[in-house]
Amino acid sequence: MRLEIGKINITDIRFAEESKIEKGILYVNPEDLKPVVLEDEKLVDVVFDIAKPGESVRITPVKDVIEPRVKVEGKGGIFPGVIAKVDTVGSGKTLALKGMAVVTAGRIVGFQEGIIDMTGVGAQYTPFSKTLNLCMVCEPAPDLKQHDYEKAVRMAGFRVATKIGELARGIEPDETCVYETLGIKEGIEKYPDLPRVGYVSMLQTQGLLHDTYVYGVDAKKIIPTIISPTEAMDGAIVSGNCVSACDKNPTYIHQNNPVIEDLFAQHGKTLNFVCQIITNENVYLADKERSSNMTAKLCRMLDLDGVIVTQEGFGNPDTDLIMNCKKIEAEGVKTVIVTDEYAGRDGKSQSLADADAAADAVVTGGNANEVVILPKLDKVIGMMDYVNKIAGASEDTLREDGTLEVELQVITGATNEMGFGLLSAR
Amino acid sequence: MVKELERAGLPVVHVCTVTPISMTVGANRIVPAIAIPHPLGNPALDKDEEKKLRRKLVVKALGALQTEVDGQKVFED
Repeated sequence: MRLEIGKINITDIRFAEESKIEKGILYVNPEDLKPVVLEDEKLVDVVFDIAKPGESVRITPVKDVIEPRVKVEGKGGIFPGVIAKVDTVGSGKTLALKGMAVVTAGRIVGFQEGIIDMTGVGAQYTPFSKTLNLCMVCEPAPDLKQHDYEKAVRMAGFRVATKIGELARGIEPDETCVYETLGIKEGIEKYPDLPRVGYVSMLQTQGLLHDTYVYGVDAKKIIPTIISPTEAMDGAIVSGNCVSACDKNPTYIHQNNPVIEDLFAQHGKTLNFVCQIITNENVYLADKERSSNMTAKLCRMLDLDGVIVTQEGFGNPDTDLIMNCKKIEAEGVKTVIVTDEYAGRDGKSQSLADADAAADAVVTGGNANEVVILPKLDKVIGMMDYVNKIAGASEDTLREDGTLEVELQVITGATNEMGFGLLSAR
Repeated sequence: MVKELERAGLPVVHVCTVTPISMTVGANRIVPAIAIPHPLGNPALDKDEEKKLRRKLVVKALGALQTEVDGQKVFED
């Protein structure tokens, strides 16, 4: 499959009469977007706002982050099975608005939504302090059940991102990147001497507001399968997650998966990037066993030499991670696992809930329990009502001087397990 | 908890969903539970069926508690 991503660099977002993109500036009329959100009667109001890098702005509670894209050539549309019809995506040409994101926020759904600070200490931890953020703060209908609220905001975010993405149609991209994977036989013939490498991406599927969707299918119900890594770039995988903000994979990161980017960068040079294998993280032991069995089997059937495995969330998914690692290694396929740590505030506790000697190549996104003090910022997009309640906070989080004492856990993307975060030991 | 109680001389059964973690941390008597969000029951069942399920689990755990083990053992059905 061959996909061209045309990148349109967005340098500013401004509210205006006419919604359009001109000379790299996105002009938005919120009145154009409001009906797109409010077409779902479960949402009764929405307020749009813009947060720019460096501004004294805090966005919270953050639910999802999405990059607007539009498909201009090839089958299907962005977010297949969710917004567009279920055609198989991942080939042809897609335009992406770079340097910006749609951020959904609003009253809390569960207790695991996040914070994005555009300046100060927090900004150093979230990758979304670097994007121009078009924020949409949604107000649910009274007495709306949590799972209905989650779905309503999730879908509204995709509709708005799709509407914004449509503005890019017909615009000449600033840069075009080409991503291509080959068929099994073709790949072996073209790169006979290169190691065959796959990417196992574990999708959060614990249920109860912890879910991921693939072509519109609730991923807890899938048997692990293979997809072209370009499919995710067209929005085939979307987040429906209220797991801890630091290590959930917002839709934006599925669209811009750094593991996929880096494997493509080496594709045909040092390795042959064969495919992406998607699997889940379920709450029944039999599901964990079945999914890891199937994942290991796929690695063997594809004659892979090595795989990179990424996780989402923490706790019992650590067992899915270790099962995948152990079983894939037992098939003679080398693994590198990417995770993060909950090693306690002092960093001295056991980092993962599970372990095995086969996990001898591990990349960490950082310790989610590490404590940071976030400064008081001038403006809040969303509301501060929940900062003491979200995972990684405590009843003492909001201090008298307005600063916040929190664990990294509260910061969207801080310890991302696809390597999208900013933490490094170097 | 399991290990500390055993160290104090009390036999312990660890009823848990993710038995591999229990194996990793070193429990000796392990009884598999239902699911992570509802280890000791199943809200999908009706009340009578669920009661049977819960009773079965408790009886099994009590049985495990009285069983001599030589190292780690998962009490499957």
